[in-house]
Order: sequence, then structure tokens, then C-alpha cells
Amino acid sequence: MKCYMCALEGKDSDAVAICVVCGMGLCMDHVIREEIEIWEGGFPLPSKKLEKTLPKMLCEWCYEAYQSG
Amino acid sequence: MISLKKRFLTELIGTFFLVFIGTGSAVITLMITQGTTPPNAFNIGIGALGGLGDWFAIGMAFGLTVAVLIYATGHISGCHINPAVTIALWATRKFPGSEVVPYIVAQLIGASLASFILAGVLGMNAVTVGGLGATAPFEGVSYIQAIIAELVGTFLLMFVIMGAAVDKRATPGFAGLSIGLTVAAVITTVGNITGSSINPARTFGPYLGDLILGGTNLWNYYPIYVIGPIVGAILAAFIYQYISSEEKLPAGKVIRE
Repeated sequence: MKCYMCALEGKDSDAVAICVVCGMGLCMDHVIREEIEIWEGGFPLPSKKLEKTLPKMLCEWCYEAYQSG
Repeated sequence: MISLKKRFLTELIGTFFLVFIGTGSAVITLMITQGTTPPNAFNIGIGALGGLGDWFAIGMAFGLTVAVLIYATGHISGCHINPAVTIALWATRKFPGSEVVPYIVAQLIGASLASFILAGVLGMNAVTVGGLGATAPFEGVSYIQAIIAELVGTFLLMFVIMGAAVDKRATPGFAGLSIGLTVAAVITTVGNITGSSINPARTFGPYLGDLILGGTNLWNYYPIYVIGPIVGAILAAFIYQYISSEEKLPAGKVIRE
């Protein structure tokens, strides 16, 4: 798979990730990695935050859409 | 995990609203029925408006408050808002022993604040007529009968907490609703036996308020509302753990696929 954003710019580069929202192929220059905190448990015990986060790969457009919400 | 300081504050706020809304509904019922002649000695005024419906309304005031507090704060502190629940969770090794005392102190402070503020907003009639919603055994109910009634009521409450929330197999999202409805059901029936505290903190606040503000001193009944709920909650937690656990296969009968 090729990077869609690079293709729009007239470049040809291999994708290393896929946007989890729209499925767009993305190279290292165009992928945005978000770290999602994970909490487990809850009533009747306090929730605990897990030490490790979950990565979430997004393209620029989907990331901006999330940020605007 | 959220810091103990913040969870302390969460338990305090939760117990405050439980006592303010819950006992407030009992106080207001007694103030509304002030001056009416109860039909018998088993009727103190709650029941004069709609019989058991009065207790159902009070039960729902408590139950709805418990339900919404669980949804609002269950993930922060665990929303125990009840020393019996905290102790039962500790007894079954689900809650750390070092946090039991801070949780109970927060619950007692929250309940006491609620009783004083209730007296503040309703005036002294809340103390002299409503008794700040303090619980006491009803006419003809002995000390032992009262302890058993509180034990049974809290057993059901803790049993539902274990089954609807602690058990990982529970249907997600229904803990608050089912536990709130349990509280309402218990109060509807046990209300006219002991006042249906099922929570040592819920009785502590009104007792302290009555004592300081010149109401009836009921502290001789307090052991009912400590022993019954705590024993009931611990029994329920252990019995639920026993009946819900899988039978272990004997060593020689391990199935390999």
C-alpha cells in the first residue's frame, strides 16, 4: 500500500500505517500517533489506569476532525 | 488510580447526597403529616399519606440517589457511601485494608454534614418533628429483631453489589440501576421495622445532628445499625463468592484438548 497523502503531493512512498478511522495508507511523515489512556475496573472499586497506553494511528484529516469536536 | 485524598472527598460528597436526599424525604414526610392522628402505634406518620406508598417514595428517594451516584462516582472512589460495603469488600480482599478507615471517616463526615445542612434548610422542625430522619426500631420490634432486619436488608444490598458489579460476568452498565432499586425495595419493607438504615453512616449523621441540635438521643440503638449491616454485608460477600465460584476439577480428571 502507498501513502495517500504523498500521492496527493505527487510523491510515491510506501505506507507504514493505516488511519484507524478512514483506512487511508500513511507513511511515517504523514501518520499521527495518539496515545490512548486505558482505565480498567470501576464500581465498587476505584478504576485503575493501566501503565501502558494504546496507540491510535490517524491521518491528518481525521485527527483534525477529532480535535474540532 | 485517583489519589486517596480525592477519593476521600468523593466518598464524602456521595454520602452527603445520600443522607441529604434520602433522610430528607423521611423528614419532609413527617413534617407533612404533622398534626394527623396515626391509626395505630406502628404508624409514626410515615404511612399516613399512602400506607406503604410512603415508604416506597422514601425508598425511591434513597434508591435513585444511590443509582445516580454510582454512575457519577463509581469509577472514582468505587462509590461505597456505606461503611458496611467498604468493610465487606475489605473482608473479601477486594479492597485494601489501609484505605478502610479513611473511607469510613469520609462517609461519616459526609453523612453528618448532610444532617446539619438539612436542619439548616428546613429549620428546627426537621429535628423536633422529623428527627432528621434518624432510624430506630418501631413499636413491638425488639433489639435482636431489629438487628436481624438490618442484617437481612444489607445482605440483599451486598449480594446484589457482588452479583451485579463485582462479578466480572455481570451485565455491564446495570450495576447502578439494580443496586438503586435494591435499596428502594429494602426500604419499602424494612422501613417500618427499623427505619431501614442498612448503612451505619446513614444513621450516624442524623444521630449526631439530633444529639447536638437538641433532638432525641437515640445512640443506645446505634449498635443495631452497626452490627446488622456489617454482619449482613460480610455474610453476603462470602456467600456470593462461594456460590458463584466454579468447582475445581480433581487433579486426576484434568481434561486436555
